Amino acid sequence: MTQFTMENVRKTFTNGEVQEEILKGINLTLKEGEVTALVGASGSGKSTLLTIAAGLQPTTDGQVIFEGKNMTTLSADQVRQVRASKFGFVFQFAHLVPFLTVEEQLLLMLEVSESPLKKHEQQREVERILKLVGMDHRKNAYPSSLSGGEKQRVAIARAIIHKPKVLFADEPTASLDSKRSKDVMELIRNLTKTLNITTLMVTHDEEMLMYTDQVIKMNDGKILQNVN
Amino acid sequence: MNLALKEMKKNKVRFVILGSIVFLVSLLTFIISGLANGLSQDNAALIKDLPAGQFYMNEDADETYNLSRIDSSTQDEILSKQKDAVAFSIQMGFINDKAGKQQSVAFVTATDSPLFANVKHQEIILDSSLKDKGIQIGDTVTNNQFSGKFIVKDFVEQKKYSHAPVAYISMEDYQEIYRVKEMQLVFTPDGDASQAYTGLQAFSKSDFLNTIPSYSAEQMSLNMIVWFLVVISGMLFAIFFYMMNVQKIGLYGILKAIGLKTSKLFKMIWTQMIVITVISLVLSITLSQVFNQFAPQGMPFSLSFATITQLSIVFLIIGFIGATISGIQIKKIQPLQAIQQGEV
Repeated sequence: MTQFTMENVRKTFTNGEVQEEILKGINLTLKEGEVTALVGASGSGKSTLLTIAAGLQPTTDGQVIFEGKNMTTLSADQVRQVRASKFGFVFQFAHLVPFLTVEEQLLLMLEVSESPLKKHEQQREVERILKLVGMDHRKNAYPSSLSGGEKQRVAIARAIIHKPKVLFADEPTASLDSKRSKDVMELIRNLTKTLNITTLMVTHDEEMLMYTDQVIKMNDGKILQNVN
Repeated sequence: MNLALKEMKKNKVRFVILGSIVFLVSLLTFIISGLANGLSQDNAALIKDLPAGQFYMNEDADETYNLSRIDSSTQDEILSKQKDAVAFSIQMGFINDKAGKQQSVAFVTATDSPLFANVKHQEIILDSSLKDKGIQIGDTVTNNQFSGKFIVKDFVEQKKYSHAPVAYISMEDYQEIYRVKEMQLVFTPDGDASQAYTGLQAFSKSDFLNTIPSYSAEQMSLNMIVWFLVVISGMLFAIFFYMMNVQKIGLYGILKAIGLKTSKLFKMIWTQMIVITVISLVLSITLSQVFNQFAPQGMPFSLSFATITQLSIVFLIIGFIGATISGIQIKKIQPLQAIQQGEV
């Protein structure tokens, strides 16, 4: 059932002659259908941990095991393929493609993930996911005409349209007001449960922890506390 | 999904502005190239229309054809060895038409050859541009250094030399006007530089054209303008896409983070470059052909299909290089950069 583990992960940045260890031997297990939150002060290493887990930067030492494979030994293109087909991303800002409609944003993700679905099936899937995030009525809208909350909903739809195994969310509610933050977190939690996704999220907002199954508190590159 | 066309459709104004600049630059390039070709024909059609081969002039002439004198024994030796060879001379001069008006011409005389018009004593064959000056077949024209009169026997199309219409006359009449017995040049069609003759210097056609006063200076300056414009268009693409890419670093980073291949982003800018260039070229070629039809008479303008094709290919290659150089940025973008940036 467990599909994502990190074993003794270390990350050191070198700035001139100065070496700074950001992650000091992290061990972590993520479970299917659960939302895990990474919390901690600025500079505690939580964002670095998330980006390493997501294959966006390499480790200095240690292993990232996903579906039985050590991701740290894969080539850059193999990591890209894993990101495209098995991972989903939601960021602080929606980062939608400004010249694509809501519907096209999702179709692009299906293309990037090399979805085996036929054209009409893709269309049907897009409509289903848009309905799931409550954005089906805006499928022909461009990002410039959407509100912040609507953009983030579309970003979430884009992150799950290709049925990823793991969803990475870096401060997904940081640019939203309180009400919209709650809506988005409810959505992430529901999708995690409904689609049986593994979700790893970085957040500063303690109010959002009520939507998570596991909270990992970090300090100075180490896991301080792991609360289920 | 064709991201390139979708972006162009959404940001029409931005791409129309770039396209209109490329259109204007390429139109200017075609027009200047047409003028360069036209002037080249006006300056040396007599030589350019000859087949490939070797030109010989006296090595003491210091590469100046009108100082060249080829002695008759050497000329006979070449003409007897090579059946298609022809000896000829060119001198600038003038004729008086029947109204007494002087017309500048380039007098040309040659030994028997299908490459030059064959004329008899007191006959003259003129370039057809002199028809516009009122000269007709059967008219009598004179020259102050010639005791007799020339009868206009015929006209030939597009035979110019040093921007003057060519006037073919017989060797006998030429010798009377210019008081010389020797020919200036020998031309051997299909000859090559390995055929050397004592006292003569060999030139290929392009080398010989460059010995014509003003030809190389005129062509060099026009061609320099043409190539500058081509380079400018390449730089336009590089700068335009560079600016666009700078604005889209965040977007490209996110697209890379979600797994889009870098090659797909390159294909996107190449497609946009090709669409803009092709549309701009079609418009500028059409307009340059319209210009060709309505250009003032007397303006030397010649834009051949070969030149259009050659320049169009060069524009596409330069555009491709410009767009690719700007795309090197895309290769360097790290997804992390984008995540740490704000909204695009």
